[in-house]
Amino acid sequence: MTHHLEEMKKYVIEKTNLNFVGISLFLVFLILSLFAEFISPYSPWDRFEPYSSPSATHILGTNDIGNDILSELIYGTRVSLIVGFGASMIATLLGIIIGLLSGYYRGLTDEILMAITDIFLMIPRIPLIIILAALLRPSFWIIMLLIGFLWWPTTARVVRSSTLQLRDASFVLSSKSIGFSDNKILLSDILPNIVYVIIPKFMLTIASAMFSEASISFLGLGDPSMKSWGMMLNFAFMKGGLINEMWWWYLPPGFCIVAVVFSLMLIGFSLEEKENIVMGLE
Amino acid sequence: MSEKRRTSIFHKINSRDSMKINLKKVGRYLAAIFIIFSLNFFIPRFMPGDPVTNLLGEDVIITEEALHELKAKMGLDKPLYFQYLDYWNNVFHFDFGYSYHFKGTVTSILLSRIKWTLLLLIPSIFLSAIFGSLFGSLSGWKSSKVSSKSLTLIELAFYSTPTFFLSLLTLYIFSFKLGLFPIKGFYNSGGILDILHHFFLPVCIMTLFLTSRNYMIMRGSVIQEKSKLYVVYAKAKGLSENQVLFRHIFKNASLPLLTLLALDFGFILSGALFIEIIFSMNGMGNLIYEAILSRDYPILYGSFMIISIMVIFANAFVDIIYSLIDPRIGDR
Repeated sequence: MTHHLEEMKKYVIEKTNLNFVGISLFLVFLILSLFAEFISPYSPWDRFEPYSSPSATHILGTNDIGNDILSELIYGTRVSLIVGFGASMIATLLGIIIGLLSGYYRGLTDEILMAITDIFLMIPRIPLIIILAALLRPSFWIIMLLIGFLWWPTTARVVRSSTLQLRDASFVLSSKSIGFSDNKILLSDILPNIVYVIIPKFMLTIASAMFSEASISFLGLGDPSMKSWGMMLNFAFMKGGLINEMWWWYLPPGFCIVAVVFSLMLIGFSLEEKENIVMGLE
Repeated sequence: MSEKRRTSIFHKINSRDSMKINLKKVGRYLAAIFIIFSLNFFIPRFMPGDPVTNLLGEDVIITEEALHELKAKMGLDKPLYFQYLDYWNNVFHFDFGYSYHFKGTVTSILLSRIKWTLLLLIPSIFLSAIFGSLFGSLSGWKSSKVSSKSLTLIELAFYSTPTFFLSLLTLYIFSFKLGLFPIKGFYNSGGILDILHHFFLPVCIMTLFLTSRNYMIMRGSVIQEKSKLYVVYAKAKGLSENQVLFRHIFKNASLPLLTLLALDFGFILSGALFIEIIFSMNGMGNLIYEAILSRDYPILYGSFMIISIMVIFANAFVDIIYSLIDPRIGDR
């Protein structure tokens, strides 16, 4: 019997598609963020008795100013996902443009663009964002832009190396000989064939952007009008949630960050592994 | 005689080639330093707000007169190019300004803190490189096995956990609940045992985090390498599985790991900073945190620059190791 169970377990793990697990987990959070108004019991700004423990009316209790923590958590999904998606869109677009141009034209264009990419890669991003956020006291949208403009170099490198592999492929050469313009070749011959590299990279960039937003907000440098999970953790840490052992305050936002990032990484890595791409390197 | 001359010619060509490549790399590093330091000059002067406040921090309370005097002393009334040259002059004298909050020069404050951060970072990097590359390569070699998949899931979960949250969790469990480790960080008090006691949990967390990273990189890298022809040849020669993996694949597969360790040194160091904040340790993390809370900008600029310099050194260091491991490597 136990032997049979072991076999079953083995079978289940072997057949489980990690990609599928990641996608389902991510969908749960996507639904939470899209329908926050309907799912959440209160508005995250409603005020009740502060510092109350979990009860039937407040499943995860309330925070230092009396906001319902569960509602904050559900609305926080939206804030965190928008930052991640937006930043990753910007970073991926920049990465695609720079990677395509430098891989396709090679020569001087490549030298210059790759020099810029290498230098960008070496700039310590979190410390730079800390400085900018401390000086600007930025809104949520600026934080998204900042992350987007700093997170493109690895995508650019991956796109470049895939473009280099494709540029002398026969179908590209035949398009060239027919006389298609470079733009046309880049967009309709090369780009569709490197989508499989871009999608996992896009997923991993969302994860990384959410990670960074959480870190910055945790330092108290986020946008106070937008309650992200990192911000909730910051308040729980600053206003005595940890020391007073109010686990319902600081554990849920932390686990939410981990769960979303985990789901995205699962999708990204299982796609990358399928296609045999090693992170950002030729 | 002729044989000897030929080798010497080859030698010359080789060394000239590698020199060119090294010059290119050195050029990039210098450009990176130049751009980062220039950023550091332009950010406080061009961001919204008063440049004096942006340069000195908001913790400074001074009169209008003193402000003018300070402005003159800092050269803020002079043209920009003059300020810029002055800035570089200061940089070459390791003068990164004065912190009014901590009451000291930024250089001396940073130097007194950085050793504690490195004490957390360096053991973790070594341990995680060993664990990550070992488990990662074993897992990549047998990538479809159940044990390999399960381990990957666990490592991925650690990889998805921000270091500050992992620190909060372990602090809660081991220090608050079980009382095994101190709650507050280390403050220059006791001997070696005391340091070990305070550093144990932070080093564990950093090692876990970095191991998961190295594991994922190494696994992907081995999966990519194992389908190559030299592996088939090594197997055909009759080498055992372990011999193929550790004699042939391991060296090639660990090159990306090295590069990424250096490239992401800034990211790795940032992870350590967050651990220090939660454990209230004496390193740069808490310094930066305090500087953020009191808006003491000079410390933030100084930390940014010192971290940048470390990243660039890490990259240059890995370049040297690279050329030792793999003589073919020049132009990547």
